[in-house]
Amino acid sequence: MPTLDSKPLDYDVMIVGAGVAGMESAASLGDMGYKVALVEKNSSIGGRSILLSKVFPTLDCASCIVTPKMAAAAHHPQIDPMVYTEVDSIVRNGDGTFTVDLHKKASYVDFDACTGCAQCEIACTVAVPDQYNYDLVARRVAHIPFPQAVPKKAVIERHGQAPCTHTCPAGVKPSGFVSLVRAGRHEQAFHMHLADAPMVGSLSRACYAPCEGECTRGDKEGTVHIRAIKRYMVDRYYADHAVPEYGPVENQLATRVAVVGSGPGGLTAAFHLAKAGHQVTVFEAESHAGGMLRHGMPRYRMPKEILDRDILNITALGVEIQTGTPVNRIAELKAQGFDAVYIGVGNQKPRIIPIEGRELPGTEIQDCMRFLRETNVGDELPDIKGKHMVVLGGGNVALDVARTAVRMEAASVSILCLEPREKMPAHGWEVEEADEEGVRICAGGATKRLYRDAEGQAQLEYLKVGTIEFTEEGKLKSFKATPGTEQSLPADIVVLAVGLGPSTDAFRDELGLTPGGIITVDDQTLQTSDPVVFAGGDAVLGPSIIVEAMGQGRRAAFYMDRMLRGEAMDVSFGDTLEMTDKQTVLDTSKSWRPVAPVALPVRPPKERVQSFECYEQTMTEAEARHEANRCLNCGECSQCQECVRVCPAFCIDFDMKPKAMQLQVGSVILSTGYEILDPARKVPLGYGTIPDVISGPQMDRLLAPTRPYNGVLRPSDGKEPENIAIVLCNGSRDHTVCNPLCCRIGCMYSVKHAQLVMGALPLADVTIYYIDIRAFGKGYDEFYEQSKGMGVNYVKGKVARVEQLENGNMALSYEDMEGARGLKKREHDLVVLTVGFLPNTEPFKLYKGGTLDADDFDYVRELDPVSEPCCTNVAGLFAAGALVGVRDIPDTVLHAGAAAAQVATYLESARAN
Amino acid sequence: MSPICKIEREMLEIVQDEMVMKDRIAALLAQGPRTIPEIAEALHHSSYEVTIWLFAMRRYGDVEEIGRADVDGYFKYELKEKPANDAAVGSEER
Repeated sequence: MPTLDSKPLDYDVMIVGAGVAGMESAASLGDMGYKVALVEKNSSIGGRSILLSKVFPTLDCASCIVTPKMAAAAHHPQIDPMVYTEVDSIVRNGDGTFTVDLHKKASYVDFDACTGCAQCEIACTVAVPDQYNYDLVARRVAHIPFPQAVPKKAVIERHGQAPCTHTCPAGVKPSGFVSLVRAGRHEQAFHMHLADAPMVGSLSRACYAPCEGECTRGDKEGTVHIRAIKRYMVDRYYADHAVPEYGPVENQLATRVAVVGSGPGGLTAAFHLAKAGHQVTVFEAESHAGGMLRHGMPRYRMPKEILDRDILNITALGVEIQTGTPVNRIAELKAQGFDAVYIGVGNQKPRIIPIEGRELPGTEIQDCMRFLRETNVGDELPDIKGKHMVVLGGGNVALDVARTAVRMEAASVSILCLEPREKMPAHGWEVEEADEEGVRICAGGATKRLYRDAEGQAQLEYLKVGTIEFTEEGKLKSFKATPGTEQSLPADIVVLAVGLGPSTDAFRDELGLTPGGIITVDDQTLQTSDPVVFAGGDAVLGPSIIVEAMGQGRRAAFYMDRMLRGEAMDVSFGDTLEMTDKQTVLDTSKSWRPVAPVALPVRPPKERVQSFECYEQTMTEAEARHEANRCLNCGECSQCQECVRVCPAFCIDFDMKPKAMQLQVGSVILSTGYEILDPARKVPLGYGTIPDVISGPQMDRLLAPTRPYNGVLRPSDGKEPENIAIVLCNGSRDHTVCNPLCCRIGCMYSVKHAQLVMGALPLADVTIYYIDIRAFGKGYDEFYEQSKGMGVNYVKGKVARVEQLENGNMALSYEDMEGARGLKKREHDLVVLTVGFLPNTEPFKLYKGGTLDADDFDYVRELDPVSEPCCTNVAGLFAAGALVGVRDIPDTVLHAGAAAAQVATYLESARAN
Repeated sequence: MSPICKIEREMLEIVQDEMVMKDRIAALLAQGPRTIPEIAEALHHSSYEVTIWLFAMRRYGDVEEIGRADVDGYFKYELKEKPANDAAVGSEER
């Protein structure tokens, strides 16, 4: 590798931007023997020219002109094309070389393996406007930019992780299954969910859905009903598949794992461990598997047949569940030959508080878990008909007890809790529903005593809470009851739901526990004080929600698998992509039409308290898809995994990260091209409001062989136009948009459009409205005259306004500068605005440690276009092509050749010195 | 339906609906070929938005045009038969 001084160079020259100019300079320098880095921010080289239909004045196919240059640049032995790579900074060193910081963006596709088959693109469920077709049609988030792309590789656009997915503790990807349901693929949606968490049905009923709390739509018309969509998805799937479609994995290992506890965390751990090939046995002390889902959740929330079907998802993998088998010592499991143990025993030990008068004859005090267990398991419900019940506590378990008692025809059910109603630990909606069902909520009350009144009715006396304090985490810290505020509630039965503790007493001698019985674990791996024992869920977290327990089960399984395979444990777990900025999504969608949430079908309170039937009902397919379509695609890619599923080359990699690089180069050529003026800035011309007013680049796409439509058609209705207007100089030579320059190429590319349209639509009339025709290049005037000979109508006149007529066509108002003169109107059925071009000012931000000079029009300034073309004010930093002023393709090629010569001169001079 | 057709929604908002609308369009075309205005009228959507959805469907091989445009300049579109071994959607689970 040549050097300019003692510091080795990675490349002789770096070229930033791989359009026509960049490719031409690269090929010239490569041919001279220099080592070239050709950096392109898009995933294909070729720039804007490859998107053209044909080139003027020869009407050669643009692909035929540009693709050989693309191939030459891509396959040249001296050129390293670096696509999907952005330069962050360019700094000139003291010795005249340059240090360039850049990063390769994460494409989430292994380019070495990708065959460009586009199966991922066809399967992708997120549609976005296609910038390579100037928004005339949609593409997919997983996409190959255009058919002639070099390299022809797919990329997946991800703008962070959707908030719903980012927030799920279980690692479920709501953005993914919502996107699949929207696309009508409920089976794939189920499988995608199953891959992350097996208790799909249980979550569709009982999850408190933290995802919905983070949904960006929630800041607009209301959160997307993610859990209800999941319910539709799982109900459809389970109706079609009474049993799982799969069995144990092929690669079975000899390693044996014991899982203690069959709650959501334990079952999730068992599922993932079994998928990894381990032999898993779950030990459950109760008579039925399911933990809190089985014993702690009322059937109106958690139907047991759904739970049973969920458990089949785990046992289908070969997991054995031994019920009625409590584990009292871990040592016994080791002695039985288990290589690792997961403790997921949960929080089922009720906290008992003393109540004065608890011995009152005829009253019954019981703990919440006993009550719920008896109502959830077994053939007969306890008889509380006609009895008065008071539930102590304000959490979700208290609500479950109270609402269950209402369904068991208790005479009255009251909830008494210390917190004021708005501070109750239970979810607000659940308190409201309990209220609707007739539960009396006595918030802000402290138990005093049990007594029997004059009529012989047992009463629970309580005092109003005067002051109450909470910790920063929202937990109750202290309270003070106000004497003299006594009130009473009838209380034949008092149920204590004032907290649950971990069921870990059996392991006190074998594992490190806190005084409160919480198992101490490594935060990352969930490994306990015993290296082969892992723990998670409520026994580690304290009271938690189902998805948190499942998340811990999955995390522990990941590290247990690594431990059992003898792999390093110091690796991270889970997707670390940052969450999308919600405000950006809201800003993008601020003008979108409001779409109200689907009203969830729910039975009325009087009907639902009659039985333990689920009171929430399942949405129809149309409702579910409509609701799913309210998703704002916050992360762009939804992570639906369809690309992963269909890729025949297994090349999708969602763990891919951007790769930062720093390169030392001898010289730099900037060739980042130009910007296209947004024709919507010329408001009276109707672009952006009238569909059949299109831009010149859009017309080029309609005429290209790889066109978005099946011909030159009107965007408004797909009709072949018959009378086309091409309007020149929109935003060029135009002080209203601060662009005084002639665009140099608009006249000729419009003449090209006219000729090509007449070829495509021989019966169409084409009119070009112009100020003056600038046909200055070789063969250009002949090209212009040829168009006139073909019948193109030229009108010298400035178009001031475009309006839509009743018949759908457009009226152009223009000043006739020849002929009869005066203000005129003419009707057309398609209007093409030949737009101006603007300087690309991005390169000014890239050069650090000095100033890269701009000319009066904000293009990069050439020191002297005549004697020192391509030279900027920074020695060794050159500019090629449209970056110093818009030009046509032949002039761009010429200019790029000059840049290559300047670089060679610079490098050789440096070496000579 | 009035021939006047305005752009009333942003492109990103329109294309997002494609995943729902394409099945409705497919269901309609299953009854027989139709022009874009005919589809728009049947679905009560603007023909501009139908154009966007339909050409995305064409791009990804769901529909195709039939022959040449009619005397009014409109093509009819029909559902495209897909090869039996199309791996994109509905292929074997991995």
